[in-house]
Parts: sequence; structure tokens; C-alpha cells
Amino acid sequence: MNALANPEVGKYVEKYFCSSFQRVGTFRIVGKQKQGGNVATYFCAPDGRVLHTIPGPVDAQTMLREAKWVVETAKKGIEVSKGDGAAFKAHMRKAHADKLRTEHGLVVQPVTFDPPDPKDNTGPLTYRDPSGQPLAPVLPPTPIDGPDVKFLLMQERSAKAAGAALIRDGKGRSWGLNNQGRAHHLLAAHCMGQIERLYGSVFEGILGERITTRPVEVVHPFPWHARNGKQGG
Amino acid sequence: MRPIMRIGTAAMFFLLLLAKAESADKAAKTPETCGEYGTTVQFEKTPSDAARKAQKEEKLVMVLHVSGDFEDPDFT
Repeated sequence: MNALANPEVGKYVEKYFCSSFQRVGTFRIVGKQKQGGNVATYFCAPDGRVLHTIPGPVDAQTMLREAKWVVETAKKGIEVSKGDGAAFKAHMRKAHADKLRTEHGLVVQPVTFDPPDPKDNTGPLTYRDPSGQPLAPVLPPTPIDGPDVKFLLMQERSAKAAGAALIRDGKGRSWGLNNQGRAHHLLAAHCMGQIERLYGSVFEGILGERITTRPVEVVHPFPWHARNGKQGG
Repeated sequence: MRPIMRIGTAAMFFLLLLAKAESADKAAKTPETCGEYGTTVQFEKTPSDAARKAQKEEKLVMVLHVSGDFEDPDFT
């Protein structure tokens, strides 16, 4: 279950990546029980632009497959773009749209051009800390055209996967998509965005975990009991 | 006096060999994990450290965003 303890994964990751981790969310301790807790893996360029993400815990095989995919796709992108950053971004977004089509059966048009950005987290479309502090923008994914009939089986499989959520296409039809499919959907429009812009849409938008700067939240189910205990003690 | 010294040196040598063999055996039994997280991946202290190292070594960066306990095997 622990993908990062797998020697094959470790060998590959050590060869192609330098790794680190950050705590971006909290978990609650209710009484003596821990609630919540999750993980998202980001594969980035050294300047923090996101090439790929894996939302949620995965097995070693999936981790290795996705890590290999991002390395190979980035290598090809460097070769094709010949030093042109815009061409590299377009290549990566097309690759995500293609993976969404072939592995999850849904067709989207990758966004290969970024409109001007107000760079403002203060609007209503913002992921916020429980205290109300704005942390990251809500990123709109590219509209879905519909299913690719050649990969309908993959679509059905993705829709039945654990944690699959319903998303609507341009004609108002609903399609089920698992976490990895939703990550490709997001990255077909926002790949090569900075990690601090994307993480809210992955951690809160896909995984449903509240992002926060707060440490562990301790909740007593019976606060009056705790109060009485304190008073008594 | 000389035989005693010889025996002492031999005993020391034997003890050294024993300690070396023991440590080699321990290393062989230790799983290929690193740090205190029980993973096969080496983690830099911060994403910035990882990014600096990646730039130097011409690698990519892998960042884990976690909420909760990183040491829980179900998370990764």
C-alpha cells in the first residue's frame, strides 16, 4: 500500500526527482479519533510549475506509471518545443487531454493559451482558510466535449472507481470521473501553472480536503465535559 | 610479556572482525528505507531545498502535500 516504500518506485524517483513534502491541510482529533488526512503528489519543474499531479493515495504500480509518464512526456516536450516555453506548455496540456481521452474516455480541448490573470485571491472564487484568509484561486477546468466512443469502456471504469465524482459536459450531460481523471481534466487547462496556484484546486477541489495554514485541530465531542474537567482539575 | 601482548592483539583483531561482520549483517537486514519516514525516497527539508537540488542535478521535483500524519502508510 505504501508506494514510497517500494524499492522500484524509490529507485526511479531518486533517479529523476528531488523530493520534499509540505503540510497544507489539517486533520481533526475528535475525542481520541483522528478524522481526515490525505495526500497529493506533484511532479514539478525546478521553478515550481506543475507538470503532473496524483490526487490521493495510490499503490506503487500507479505511482511508478505516473512518474514514468511525466518523465517521458516532459522529455518529448523538450525535444518538440526546442526551447520554446509556450510550445512546451501546449505539449504538456495536450498530453493531459490525450491521457484523459485514452484512460478515462472523455474528450476536452486543451487550453494552450492563458488569458490575462488578475492575480487576485480576494474574489468569491477563492479557496480560503477556515479563518477566511484567501489561500488559492478556484481554477475553472476546460469544458468537456463528451465521451470518446472508442474509450467508452475506460469512461465506465473511471466512473465506477472509488472517489469518482460527477462532472458535466458542454451539453449538460453528467459523467463520472475518478480523482486521476479529474487531475488530467484540470491540467489540460492549467498544467505548468505554479504549485501555489494549483494546490487549492487539487487538495480542496478534487480531494475535498480543506486547505489551511492551521496545525492539527483538536475537537472535543462534549466540550462541556472538557470544561468541567478543566474546572474540576 | 610478549606472548600476553600477542594474545591481546589477536583478541582485539578478532573482536574488530566480529563487530564488522555484525554491522554488515545488520545493514543487510535493514530495509532500503531512508530517514524517519520509512520510504525509499530521500526527502529534502523544504520544497525550496528540493528545487535548488533539482536545478543543480538537472532533475524534476516531486512534492507531497499532506494533511494528517505523513507516517501513516495509507497516505502514500
